[in-house]
Amino acid sequence: MKCNQIKEKFSDFLTGELDKNVREKIQEHITVCSSCREELENLSAIWTKLEVLPEEQPSDKVRTRFYAVLDQYKQNQDRKTVRPRKERFSIGWFRHWIPARPAFQFSIAALLLVVGLAGGYFLRPGWQRKGEIVQLRQEVHQLSRITAVSLLQQESLSEQMGGIRWSSRLSQENRASLADFLRTLNLDISAISPSRNNSIAQSEFMQSLSEQASPVVEIALTFVKHF
Amino acid sequence: MDKTNDNELMEQVSAGKVEKLAILFEKHHVRLYNFFLRLTGRRNISEDLVQEVFIRILKYSSTYQARSKFLVWLYSIARNTHVDHLRKRKDEVPLDKQWYEMESTEPSPAEKAEKSQEVVWLGHALGKLPLKKREVLILSRYQGLKYKEIAELFGCQIGTVKVLVHRAIKELGKVYFELSGGTAL
Repeated sequence: MKCNQIKEKFSDFLTGELDKNVREKIQEHITVCSSCREELENLSAIWTKLEVLPEEQPSDKVRTRFYAVLDQYKQNQDRKTVRPRKERFSIGWFRHWIPARPAFQFSIAALLLVVGLAGGYFLRPGWQRKGEIVQLRQEVHQLSRITAVSLLQQESLSEQMGGIRWSSRLSQENRASLADFLRTLNLDISAISPSRNNSIAQSEFMQSLSEQASPVVEIALTFVKHF
Repeated sequence: MDKTNDNELMEQVSAGKVEKLAILFEKHHVRLYNFFLRLTGRRNISEDLVQEVFIRILKYSSTYQARSKFLVWLYSIARNTHVDHLRKRKDEVPLDKQWYEMESTEPSPAEKAEKSQEVVWLGHALGKLPLKKREVLILSRYQGLKYKEIAELFGCQIGTVKVLVHRAIKELGKVYFELSGGTAL
């Protein structure tokens, strides 16, 4: 073996990773080659000298910290543990409520479908809106009635006439409004009666009587005139 | 415990039995601490790095593949941890100046032993080596890794590792000779 080939084996020679034959060849070579012998001696010396660097023990802190980290990791792992996918989607106890026979299962499915459709029909947005409109209409009607009654109870004749107009907007079936109107008429009939001493008013009242088309109104005004 | 046991234990850790890591810790943490101590020369830093390695093992346990020896995987994590540490602390004192600068006030048995001038020179000489040579020398000399395993760890050919070891020892001898004033070796 040449010097280069011998030197390539020095690393293996130091760690003992050489078979017996190669080791013997190296030893034979260095007996005759001073250069290789010197290099191997230097390498071996420093390799051996590395033994003086002692192996140390770390402080107990390393062990304490490691086990603290391990415990913490295990706790986090337990917390994150999730049930297997199959189990998560299990129907569990609900299984007992489902009938075994397909006919019953179909019936239940059909019933649930009907319930679902009915629920959808009643809960649809238009349904709710319709209810809201009815409620709104009732509130407007109630407001009109209050306004009419309020105006009829005023002393001013013009406001009372306004009340009569408001009352006409109410539905005819609204007996309560009609009753309010009649009550006001009975109480305040003197308000619309012309004074006997006021000749202009008497004259205007008579003119108005002659212009009325309805006989009922004519009778009423005549009654008021002589009241 | 042989390597098969280490691999099996790590597979169990990987499968979720993290308590098994305690066995691997008890078996390897002292040697790992000395690996870092010889790389850095600092005890406190070495302890922190050991801690960091085992945290990373927990973190990346699911990526462990039993194809390679556990020891190779362990030291690949250790090397990465050390490199990350160097990146964070690149402004620190050069390694050859750091060697055995004691951070602890209480002298350890090793500190008493290192009174020997040889230990000081050797420590400084080791610290002057380029990182890769220092790593390969420590792994082959102290950590008991075969050249094949170091080659796997470094991702290179076995022949490359042998050349690297050869050059590392030669360079270490040269530096040591200079430090000792040419009187030792």
